[in-house]
Amino acid sequence: MRVISDADLRGLAADLLAAGSTVWGPARVPGSPRPGVEYRPLREAAELDLGAGLPFLPLKQVFLPPTEPLFWWERKGTEVRLVPPAPPNRRVVVIGARPCDAAGADAMDRVMGWDYRDELWFARRDAATVVTVACERPADEACFCSDVGLGPSHPRGSDLLLIPHPGGYAVEEVTAKGRELVAAFPHRFREDEQVTPGETAAAGPPRIDLAGVQRWLADHFEDETWNEVALRCHGCGACASVCPACHCFDIVDEPDSLLAGTRRRNWDSCQTSRFTVHASGHNPREGQHARVRQRVVHKFQVFPRRFGRLLCTGCGRCTRACPAGQDLFEILTLVSERALETS
Amino acid sequence: MRELRELAVRLLETSDVQVVIGWEESRRGVRPAFAQTPAEAERLVFDQRCVHNLAAYLHPRRKHIRGLGRPAVVVKGCDARAVAGLIRDNQLRREDVVLIGVRCPGVWAENKAEGQPGNRRWAERCVSCPQRTPTLCDYLIGEDSPEPSGGPGLEAQVERIQALPMAERWAFWSSAFERCVRCYACREICPLCFCERCLADKSMPQWIESSPHRRGNLAWHLARALHLAGRCVGCGECERACPAGIPLSILNARLQQSVRERFEFVVSDDPVAPSPIGEFRVDDGQEFIR
Amino acid sequence: MAFQPKITAFVCNWCTYTGADLAGTSRLQMAPEVRIIRLPCTGRIDPLFVIKAFERGADGVIVSGCHPADCHYNSGNYHARRRFAIFRDLLDFVGLDPRRVIFSWVSASEGGKWRDIVDSAAATIRELGPCRADTGDEGRGRLACAS
Repeated sequence: MRVISDADLRGLAADLLAAGSTVWGPARVPGSPRPGVEYRPLREAAELDLGAGLPFLPLKQVFLPPTEPLFWWERKGTEVRLVPPAPPNRRVVVIGARPCDAAGADAMDRVMGWDYRDELWFARRDAATVVTVACERPADEACFCSDVGLGPSHPRGSDLLLIPHPGGYAVEEVTAKGRELVAAFPHRFREDEQVTPGETAAAGPPRIDLAGVQRWLADHFEDETWNEVALRCHGCGACASVCPACHCFDIVDEPDSLLAGTRRRNWDSCQTSRFTVHASGHNPREGQHARVRQRVVHKFQVFPRRFGRLLCTGCGRCTRACPAGQDLFEILTLVSERALETS
Repeated sequence: MRELRELAVRLLETSDVQVVIGWEESRRGVRPAFAQTPAEAERLVFDQRCVHNLAAYLHPRRKHIRGLGRPAVVVKGCDARAVAGLIRDNQLRREDVVLIGVRCPGVWAENKAEGQPGNRRWAERCVSCPQRTPTLCDYLIGEDSPEPSGGPGLEAQVERIQALPMAERWAFWSSAFERCVRCYACREICPLCFCERCLADKSMPQWIESSPHRRGNLAWHLARALHLAGRCVGCGECERACPAGIPLSILNARLQQSVRERFEFVVSDDPVAPSPIGEFRVDDGQEFIR
Repeated sequence: MAFQPKITAFVCNWCTYTGADLAGTSRLQMAPEVRIIRLPCTGRIDPLFVIKAFERGADGVIVSGCHPADCHYNSGNYHARRRFAIFRDLLDFVGLDPRRVIFSWVSASEGGKWRDIVDSAAATIRELGPCRADTGDEGRGRLACAS
């Protein structure tokens, strides 16, 4: 099987940087009160830190930046000129993505190319190659990728999947883009007969009945369960910021003057009351229970019904980030149990 | 623990309290709990893991909590200061809440990032806590414990940054603000951010641009900090909620220092002390005015 | 070309604006870089006005109003004094040079003092250099007010 050593993976990052590519990977954040790593554009290959666990924030910022211009506008007399942003002209390679992040981008591909093809999203997706490192074990008890049809070495959304073994990684070429990357830097990879693809981290048996969850959610839009689980929620929306699959955005105009300005899109979150408030003041999602319900129902019932994928990859980030101890896996377990009771 | 549970059960059974807001065990440590029956009150816990400021559940934007009826809330020293802030700012009437004060031993710094060893250290704010035992409370339970010590306190962090050259201070804060994605988790969880409509959500005129670029982020973080001058209780919830890991507590602490040095005002759990920003003295210092 | 600073002055209607008017009618020569925005009172001047001015290209800001005890509304300037004291501490702490924000009391009769404030503000800001409020694309530009 094809393998790459630890040193060569770092070397690959250095080669790519030298060739002018943008390389993202997990790295330490100076000045942050939080230990651990985040996905960052690397300045040098030495910053790459693959041993420090799951980044607190997801990978989605590579494809959907927290803010981006949709176009600039300028008015001259009766004419309005629109200038679109330049397409990305550099190759982007992510080294050390986690399977849950890669799968999150794949889920978003469905909605970004559904009724309208989001050119900005796909330009970034097309320019990027995702090199994923499989997890050897769940990061902690918040992880539940194996319960949502994925797993610690699931290839969905990855171009190359690296499966750790002592001293390096077995390389699984998932897509043509992945094969091209290997072909472009052949000296970084080698064949090793000793390593077999069987040595991947195994996905555990699922602990929740997804079909039952989906069925129950469809029938229990109004249910006391939502009031119970929403009590502790502050509506802060941290869960959406750290979710690898949440993709809602707000569109704003930022005028520079009366005659020119920028239209931007910015991340947004359905967990805050202002997400749905109308100009009249009416809010169709009045109450925190309706917002918590929206998050669960969208991810586990509405989205899969329409796109055949869950909008959750089981990364557990929302659970880790929640300042009030909300636990998505626990909610799913509860729903799963109630589905059993009612079936 | 027994003392807390017995009191909570008694309040639910014999007085006009419909919910006791405290903490419960969950599979990932403790978290806020809303005990509405004596049986649920038997689940309440309190120890050094109880970092959450439960006063945030008392302000009028938490309609789903107000709907539960008259609450009793377990408060540490910092939480009681937040309750006092809500009363002072006319967001809560003293008689509408029962306060169960706990003699706080200090709380552990929460370690949310995965894969980090669960090494226990005091939360920075607890090392220099001005008042661990609340005076604003109806009941006071728990036992006295030694003062948390060791590790850098918040004051030390403020001093460290203030001592940097100006360009380095700018570099520190601009790289911190650059990480902000403007989710406003800091605002939503703040027990003192109770405005029905935040200045940052107003668009006519748009004083604070909502985009997470440098301009919008700088305006937001300066405005947020200023609005908490003389009000911030130092509970650190904003920093704890921040998904981007921005050290907001340091910024807040600097302004409380400013208010203390300039106006001799310390945020306490006295619910009638006037805000230093709404007040003035004719002989306030004006060394910076020409 | 030499650096031509942009300075925004937020002044109160009753004292400083009238003082600046007096400076003009008295034909006092002064630095031309200051643009005046008149407000009812220094108490109406939110620190956000100052932030906005910097965002939109100002290199320095003057905030000026009635002397203590002279406020048309009795206490607006006292409130402003407290607010700007902590605002300056905050600017200093985040590394935005507080010398760029000049606070003064100028009464209606102090045309000469207004000229001095304007001249010295212009000299200070010229020395400090530009404070560029340019976000650039993707918010990756610099708001380089650091000294």
